[in-house]
Amino acid sequence: MLERLRRPWPDHRAELTLGAVSLLVGAIVIAMIVFVAIRAWPTLAHNGLSWLGPGANLETQIANMQATSVNPPASAFKLNAWPLVYGTLLTTVLAVALAVPVSVLSSVFIVELAPEGVRRIAIPVIRLLASVPSVIYGLIGILVLVPFVGNHVITAHEKASVQNVVELTGAGLAVTVVILTVMITPIMIALVCEALASVPVSWREGAVALGLNPLRAVRAVALRAIRPAIVAATVLATARALGEAIMIQMVSGGRSFAPKPVDGVIFLFEPLRTLASAIVDFHEGVSAPALRSTLYAFGLLLLFSALMLSVCGYLIKLPLRRYQTNG
Amino acid sequence: MSVLASDVRPLGASGTGPAQDGHGRRSSPWSWRWSDRFVLVVAWATGIGLCLIAAAIVVYMGVRGVEYLRPGLLFSHPQASTSQAGSGGFLDPLLGTLLLTVIGITLALPLAVGCALWITEYGRPGWLARVVESSIEIVAGTPDIVIALFGLAVFQLSLFAPLSFTAQGGGVYGRSFIIAGAMLSLIALPPLYAATRDGLQAVPTHMREAAFALGKTKIATIRRVLLPSVRSNVATGVTLGVSRIIGDTAIVLLLLGETLRIDTEGSIPGLNLLRATGSTLTTYVYSNSPAGEGAAPQKAYAAAFVLLVFVLGLNLIVTRIGRAHASTGLSGAGGGIV
Amino acid sequence: MSRIRRLSIALTVAGVLGVVAPASAAAVSVITISGATASYPLVSLLAQKYVKLYPHKFKFKIAQGGTQIGINDVAAGRVSIADVSRDPLATDPAGLVFYPIAKYGICVITNKANTLPNLTQAQVTSIFTGKTRSWSQVPGASASGTIDLISRTSVAGVLTSFQTLLLEGKKVSGIATEEATEGLLKQQVENDPNAIGFVSNYQVDLGGVNSVGFNGVACNKANVVSGQYAGVARFYEVTHGKATGVVGGFIHWIETSAPARKIISTQWVPIT
Repeated sequence: MLERLRRPWPDHRAELTLGAVSLLVGAIVIAMIVFVAIRAWPTLAHNGLSWLGPGANLETQIANMQATSVNPPASAFKLNAWPLVYGTLLTTVLAVALAVPVSVLSSVFIVELAPEGVRRIAIPVIRLLASVPSVIYGLIGILVLVPFVGNHVITAHEKASVQNVVELTGAGLAVTVVILTVMITPIMIALVCEALASVPVSWREGAVALGLNPLRAVRAVALRAIRPAIVAATVLATARALGEAIMIQMVSGGRSFAPKPVDGVIFLFEPLRTLASAIVDFHEGVSAPALRSTLYAFGLLLLFSALMLSVCGYLIKLPLRRYQTNG
Repeated sequence: MSVLASDVRPLGASGTGPAQDGHGRRSSPWSWRWSDRFVLVVAWATGIGLCLIAAAIVVYMGVRGVEYLRPGLLFSHPQASTSQAGSGGFLDPLLGTLLLTVIGITLALPLAVGCALWITEYGRPGWLARVVESSIEIVAGTPDIVIALFGLAVFQLSLFAPLSFTAQGGGVYGRSFIIAGAMLSLIALPPLYAATRDGLQAVPTHMREAAFALGKTKIATIRRVLLPSVRSNVATGVTLGVSRIIGDTAIVLLLLGETLRIDTEGSIPGLNLLRATGSTLTTYVYSNSPAGEGAAPQKAYAAAFVLLVFVLGLNLIVTRIGRAHASTGLSGAGGGIV
Repeated sequence: MSRIRRLSIALTVAGVLGVVAPASAAAVSVITISGATASYPLVSLLAQKYVKLYPHKFKFKIAQGGTQIGINDVAAGRVSIADVSRDPLATDPAGLVFYPIAKYGICVITNKANTLPNLTQAQVTSIFTGKTRSWSQVPGASASGTIDLISRTSVAGVLTSFQTLLLEGKKVSGIATEEATEGLLKQQVENDPNAIGFVSNYQVDLGGVNSVGFNGVACNKANVVSGQYAGVARFYEVTHGKATGVVGGFIHWIETSAPARKIISTQWVPIT
């Protein structure tokens, strides 16, 4: 029978088999969305949309969920996850805001400014940065950066000034955002470099011929032309930042606290929690029904955000299509 | 074509930088405005800065790894102990990583290559092709923690009880090597698919037409002409997929049962390993760090060093494949970054 | 592919699987346990000894997660036994049977540099509920600055026991940093000169922190045995319904056998 399978197949059978394989992949993804939504439904049903808003202390609510494991009453499902949503938005927006200029400048450096020897070293090095596992970033963060910030950057006076509200231990917003930026920048650099390299040389040479220096030539011509690529890179980087769970869980301080910008410099050191890091924090309690639907609701929100990001990226790129260059 | 294959020169003949411009002193930065000079300095600073950060990470992990890694650790089983001296090595996590990689790639490779082939060569009906492409994009953008939650939701159904084990009270445990491997194959799928699809799209049409002219059917063309020519793309894709699987922590944390040693389940050899629970290097590092349940940073450093060595090796392979591919003169289809 | 190649690949795969998979005996009973991190060292040692005494008959899968996780898991049928480090609560699911196996002491600890010898009940309550926030307000403390409270996450049985026994039933302040395990709490206190926390006496005996007396009584094993120390709680093994079969056998062995008693007596206190 093996021999019969090894003979060339008729085209029709081959097409159906390959089509079935592709259909399987599509079905798995649809199943993922459906399963997560079904498991998340109880929280949504009990809370409506108010679970995204502020309200009671989140930690007490989760403790309550963990304590009511069999047949939880409706009150156990009460959830006000605003600190998590805020934490996710804060870390993602700050990290992407830092990563975009850093990656664009680095890409310009790699493609335009670096001498050949430096470029030969820089490219594999930055590719390495992109493939370091997030647990190693988290390890360096928690063993090196957090103690450094906790012992040498945060002053005793700053600690005392918020001592009745929250404890500053070094693990918090600043370390999280810095490491997150380092994580997502290489992803953006890869895409932006590729796009910069595919801008026709004649465009840039034309600008130089008109009297612009090379840097201005890049800015005037190439950067405008690669705007779709920058958008695509930003979307990719944002999706990565949204979904980062392990590294953030290790360095963010593990308190469902919403850092307040009005606190000044201390704002950077306040602990926080994001949706993804909360799932990692509480995943052991997933057998308690109330907590399970809560965690799946977080997952559904993350899934939904990733989907919306793709759609937004697509929509933003539509009017930029006339700038698309063919490499 | 990716500029990050090291020996592609993106600027053609016009030189690489202002100071080395072949046309003379006209574009020396000393003649620029202050704002431009400032931007130049900042661009250099960010580029060199990122390289320094990468170097610092590698050097620091290297120093710590050499400090704490002894060859005995690679070959001894971990023990439950409260002191670092007695807690053994990380042979089981190492084997766990290897086993999961094998399972993940074995499951992802046929799926990814099949999808890529179908989308580029057939692709009818059109709406289905769009659905499949979008679903792979969705998987690529999904956080791995959500994929882990999905795995938990699916594999704790009693339908999948044979894949893990059932506790005395009737609850399906839902965590084992095969389950974690299946979910890890989902995250290895997008890079594999993208690399294969790019390779297939870059094969010139005249090769296909020549095969048709010789009387070969489509499937024979695929088998004998297309697949061999995208071998290096598939290799790049596999390497990228492997590096994603090796580096993943969230899925393994939720879906592998987190036992220190590989705990086999059942009595059929081979199957009992697939149903086993265990750990990988990543969860071992996580558990031993101040974020997990142990507090053994020395072991964490040692295991993290081994992990980094694996990742570095995989990177080298990708670079090597990219270089070999570019030097054979085939157009397009280089390996991209992750 | 030639037949020889296929055969050799199949042999290699089988060889790899054979090397990796340890030999599996037939009819091995699996006992699954999850729950308290404080009793994890004890239960691991007991399980190790049990397997050594009755080889090839039993296999243990011991997870941690915290007392409440164990209670939830055993009530849902996901594990056979839950490790619990607090007394039964009214909110616990119905049908659970608690078997006490050992007594342990909960000690208040500070950093080694902070040589605080003793705290009264009033001081402990005021510090841990967040009323006193500065070391300068605590006589006898050699630290200065803000008090860093280190506590446990809400699933911890040690937290519940601590609140009941040493905190007059009040709750630890929400300001406190929450750690997932005893080991992490102790490590946090070891690294932070301004920290104060609470762990079981087993962790204190490992060294590295300063143990604070309570109401004039030092927290050590002798005082736990004699009952003088106030913060004495119990470890329980909890099952859903009466423990029967292999699970019942294991728990019975812990309660009655001499080797088990010997293990318990090393760092903890046997019941009776």
